[in-house]
Amino acid sequence: MLGSRLRLWSAVVLMLAVAVVTAACGKGGDEESGGIEGDKLQIGAALSLTGSLAKEGALTKQGYQLCQQKVNDRGGVKVGDKKVKLAISYSDDKSEPDTAARLIDNFNDDGVQLILGPYGSPSTEAAAAAVERNGQVMVDSSGADDNIFTKGYKNTFAVLSPASDYVAVMVDAIMGSANPKPKTVAFLSADDGFSQTAAKGGVEAANKAGLDVIAEESFPEHTTDVSAALTKVRGDDPDLILGSVHVEEGIAIVKQSGELGVKPQGFGETVAPPTPDFSEALGDAANGVVGSTQWTAQATGQDEIFGTAQDYARDFEQRFGATAEYHSAEGAAACLALVLAVEEAGSADPEKVRTALTELDTESFFGPIKFDDTGKNVTKPMSAIQIQDGKVTTIYPKDQAQAELQWPGTGG
Amino acid sequence: MSQFLQATVYGLLEGGLLALVAIGFSLVWGVMNIVNLAQGAFVITGAYIAWKLNTELGLDPYLGMFVAAAALFVAGYVIQRLLINQIVNAPIWMTLLLTFGLDLLIVQGLQLLFTADFRAINTSWGTDGFAIGDVRVPYGRLAGFILAVAVTLALVWFMSRTRSGLAIRTTGMDRAAARLMGVNVRHTYALTFGLAAALAGMAGAILGSITTFSPSAAGGYTLQSFVIAVLGGLGNMWGALAGGILLGLVQAWGGQYLSGTLVNAIAFGVLVLVLIVRPAGLVGRPYYEARAEA
Repeated sequence: MLGSRLRLWSAVVLMLAVAVVTAACGKGGDEESGGIEGDKLQIGAALSLTGSLAKEGALTKQGYQLCQQKVNDRGGVKVGDKKVKLAISYSDDKSEPDTAARLIDNFNDDGVQLILGPYGSPSTEAAAAAVERNGQVMVDSSGADDNIFTKGYKNTFAVLSPASDYVAVMVDAIMGSANPKPKTVAFLSADDGFSQTAAKGGVEAANKAGLDVIAEESFPEHTTDVSAALTKVRGDDPDLILGSVHVEEGIAIVKQSGELGVKPQGFGETVAPPTPDFSEALGDAANGVVGSTQWTAQATGQDEIFGTAQDYARDFEQRFGATAEYHSAEGAAACLALVLAVEEAGSADPEKVRTALTELDTESFFGPIKFDDTGKNVTKPMSAIQIQDGKVTTIYPKDQAQAELQWPGTGG
Repeated sequence: MSQFLQATVYGLLEGGLLALVAIGFSLVWGVMNIVNLAQGAFVITGAYIAWKLNTELGLDPYLGMFVAAAALFVAGYVIQRLLINQIVNAPIWMTLLLTFGLDLLIVQGLQLLFTADFRAINTSWGTDGFAIGDVRVPYGRLAGFILAVAVTLALVWFMSRTRSGLAIRTTGMDRAAARLMGVNVRHTYALTFGLAAALAGMAGAILGSITTFSPSAAGGYTLQSFVIAVLGGLGNMWGALAGGILLGLVQAWGGQYLSGTLVNAIAFGVLVLVLIVRPAGLVGRPYYEARAEA
């Protein structure tokens, strides 16, 4: 009796001791140097390498990787009077916001305080909370939802244009060039925060442009069946259908419109049309669809790491064998902003880097980068594209356009 | 009114296809007491096989689905005999653990092979359709529905008129007695699992031509299979068809008349309601009557 009791307690005490020792030894880190270990500048990135956002996470990672390559090819990051190599370490957040936040905490435990954002608004929002709590600094590459920036966070800076621009730019592009001009519009949106914010911005722009908003329907995020929403708007026969969506829902809208006999003058969608999956999945039906994008290879501006947008596109194609699109460009731009801030601050200390980011005002291959006091990049306009002959073609702003808008867009 | 009819037609067609997705799941659970959490992964694998055949050889998915079914039958048979047979007598959480691990393996394997890109199989006729008044019936979905019903009928015939089918049913009722009657139980179990996998693969090929898919879509199909199997009564073929159609209709009507974002909540609400009224499912008999375990 006594023997077994004693054994149990010994086991418990032993386990506790092992746990304490492991915790103390395992996760130490250079808290002071803020991420510089030896000749490397450690940056952390929690990305959706698996899960429902794996595709977009992979594209973002390519942007980060290209940035690391270009920076190290020119010698590395200038910190004070020495050059250190850029080293981005990736963790998989499985497309789950909670996991992303936990990974940010793990990075903090390891002494990595400079962070490149995860993919998408939900994970970025979760990460931003952790970053704020830990005193880290994050440059956001793909979390566009304006809500992220209403919380008074001081440590998150987004290089991309906010969500409210995503649909508004398509309204401007279409109403500026379409002939005949559409008179009625139906908004179909996924129910996540980003899509809803984008749709709201679109409704405002539509009202301003004199369009009659005849329907605003929502459906679950990641659904492949939007038939209910399409059936509801079919009777009203809208001239224009604007989808505030991601890739799956975007494909579904065009595909099921064909099935259900919904025939507007044209479609405009966020996120989906510039991705290669969209044209491949829809074939001919993709032609004529308008999309909004954070960046095209026709963007104006250049910087010392990537050069012009055309240079970036060429380097990307060379390294990854695929046409560059905006998800990877956002990633590269976020990395660029962080590197420039570290060089400006002359240190990897998060406080100094944060200050440098607030003062950043530069042009780049991605467009102008300058943050307002909530952390949004308010100087960079979005562009609009249209799929013409199976190719993603820039149509707006007019001075960067490769071709004119083809209208009506359907029947292509 | 035309909105209601359109939603009904769509829900019916979708439901038939969902039934095909779930029928194998229900069969395996009812006969072998195995909850196959990798069901969705089998469906997606079938979709990828059909997609690969379509992009490499130009094979129409309605032909490619036979290849997918055959490939998955073999895979399912082998998996059952080598892996799942080990835990057939074990507590249910062991089967959950094993099939969950299998699901992870398959989904991650598909992601490594094909990346997370969204795929769809384009047929020239898939989105065309005919119209009855204001209601459109797309050919692709109609073909899927007809096939699903045909396969269910074929399965019912198989289960009641062939030796193998009867062997499966008797093994499900009383394994020891079946063995005493000369049924090779190991082979029968593997046959059942292989059949279930084949049906899932076939459904996946059809789904690939109707909608988009990627490795992460597997989980959703497993969940729907679960709901349909329980709704219809475990191990019951007609139940799976009824459950699938009911789920399809409920989701379509729910999406039409309530907020589109409540679709999942509605589906599970219906499941709870049906279980309260008929715990054995729509068509099923009480669990302890349907099968006796040695």
